[in-house]
Amino acid sequence: MNRNYYILTAIMLILAIGTVFIHERKYTSELPASELLWDILQPSRFVTTDQVAKRIIEKDPSLLLIDVRPASEYNKFSLPNAVNVPFDSIETATGQQYFGNPGTKVVLFGDDGILANRVWILLRRLDLKNNYVMRGGLNEWIETIIQPKRPKQTDPEISFEQYNFRRAARLYFTGAKVVTGNMKKEKVVFKKRKRAAVAAGGC
Amino acid sequence: MGPLVLNGFISSNWNLLIAVFIGMAFGFLLESSGFSSSRNIAGVFYGYNFVVIRVFFTAVIVAMVGLLYMGYFGWVNLSQIFILPTFLPSMITGAVIMGVGMIIGGFCPGTSFTAITIGKIDALVFAIGLYIGIFFFAEGYPFLEKFYLSANLGHVTLADVTGISLGWWALIFTVFALASFWITASIEKKVRKRIKDYKF
Amino acid sequence: MNVHELNPKKTLGVLIVLVIVVIIGFLTMKPSRYDYKLNVNQSIQLLKDTSEINFYPYELVDVLNHKNKNVVLIDLRNKYAFGRGHIPGALSIPSFDLTHKKNLRLLKDYKKNGLTVVLYSNNQLSADGPWFFFRQIGFNNVRVLLGGYNYFLKHKNNLAATRSDNSYIKGIERFNYAKVSKSSDKSFELNQNNKPKPVIFKRRKREAVAAGGC
Repeated sequence: MNRNYYILTAIMLILAIGTVFIHERKYTSELPASELLWDILQPSRFVTTDQVAKRIIEKDPSLLLIDVRPASEYNKFSLPNAVNVPFDSIETATGQQYFGNPGTKVVLFGDDGILANRVWILLRRLDLKNNYVMRGGLNEWIETIIQPKRPKQTDPEISFEQYNFRRAARLYFTGAKVVTGNMKKEKVVFKKRKRAAVAAGGC
Repeated sequence: MGPLVLNGFISSNWNLLIAVFIGMAFGFLLESSGFSSSRNIAGVFYGYNFVVIRVFFTAVIVAMVGLLYMGYFGWVNLSQIFILPTFLPSMITGAVIMGVGMIIGGFCPGTSFTAITIGKIDALVFAIGLYIGIFFFAEGYPFLEKFYLSANLGHVTLADVTGISLGWWALIFTVFALASFWITASIEKKVRKRIKDYKF
Repeated sequence: MNVHELNPKKTLGVLIVLVIVVIIGFLTMKPSRYDYKLNVNQSIQLLKDTSEINFYPYELVDVLNHKNKNVVLIDLRNKYAFGRGHIPGALSIPSFDLTHKKNLRLLKDYKKNGLTVVLYSNNQLSADGPWFFFRQIGFNNVRVLLGGYNYFLKHKNNLAATRSDNSYIKGIERFNYAKVSKSSDKSFELNQNNKPKPVIFKRRKREAVAAGGC
């Protein structure tokens, strides 16, 4: 017998014994932990209540609103066409079907941003993309869309546009009566100062 | 090319072209390891030539051990590797038919084509028979379908079924394969003494 | 052996290549410094019990008085914001640097010594993500400061009194959503009846220019 056969057998045996000692990598479809923190620190997942309201009014077919609060609270009130996926059921089959579908943008919301944000982190860890968080949640929704505050006259023009949009959105979401008249930033009137009679004299 | 396509390095349109090159390499290796000789293949049954067993076991243990290491280094995602679903009754039946066919014909489907390329007439006949078999199987599929798809165990591995880790299985198979190399070598020696006109 | 036998020399060459590849693999492998310790389900269970995860502003009183020495405050804002003002005794680790080798070692030491690490940022939301991340990679001594630095700044001098305040607590309804969103709710319209008044800038009158020259 060729001496090489002994060497071959020995090498192969050593390599195979080595495989017993290497631990198996747990393969999950999860995002590596080293990338998760980086994604958490990106603010691009946050959308404002105005953006959400605009999408609802425009009947954007790619928008999917997900209410992460418990079912009991969802039954009392939720946003129009929102689906209830309580935060503790995101990993179940019924919860999973809503996330990660191409072409849909999932907006998560809760009472305020915190719970929805935590759910977003878990979904990101499960490597599900196209999820967003409504900043401020339902509390901010009420504050901005349902009970918008009149901007101060010193506020910039854009906050008046925003206020008009919110009033229209409020009409859309509550069916409230129209408060007629468009809010405008009033023109600033400068009164001309009267010239004082010039005193005679001078240089 | 699983990892390249799945990870989006190349589009899935490249699959066929890469398959052509892999097929060429496979054919070349079959021919260069002597599989186009029907004596080599039938010899496993008669006990005078075990080169087929040695080549395939070498391929299996090297690939197995190599994949386990690569999975450990993080180069290959073992969970994305395709595992053939297991249908025990139909697989056992198929294996018996194939084994009998290899003893009778002296080729396995792949080696019959490599043998045709070096001009063997028996291989040509074998390949024609192969196509006739495929034809009858396809026509008879409605009758066979129930048996063919029975007892689907899904994409299972030995580690899933037994609970023993893949590393241990790799060691068991390697020891088994290495032992078979030495045992078959000694069997060959004894059998070949009795065959007077043994040549290729 | 015969011509069609496996060539042991060639096989040996190929196997040595495999050995070299394996050795290269071992040499180039980077051990991951942290990995998930909680799975997704455990992380969800963690969210249900809030008493373990929150650090209330009134608990800061003991920390600032040096009564409670088991707490380390970590400021996640950038160095500039930290320089302008921070909770006394806090350590500055901007959130992007949290997983640096040095900082991770520090946090591990804190965990080993049984110290509670409290993360804070401007508000709860910006510290909440890093907090949840650290919980998932196994730092069970990490908590998040409710209200964040902004709330602390406002109530700096009466922290003990914030025990009865709940304005910083998240996850509760501030409105009766269903009632407020009904069209019959008049509270909104009532507020809107005062018409906007134009703003008039009044120039101060110039005093009559005294006659006179230069």
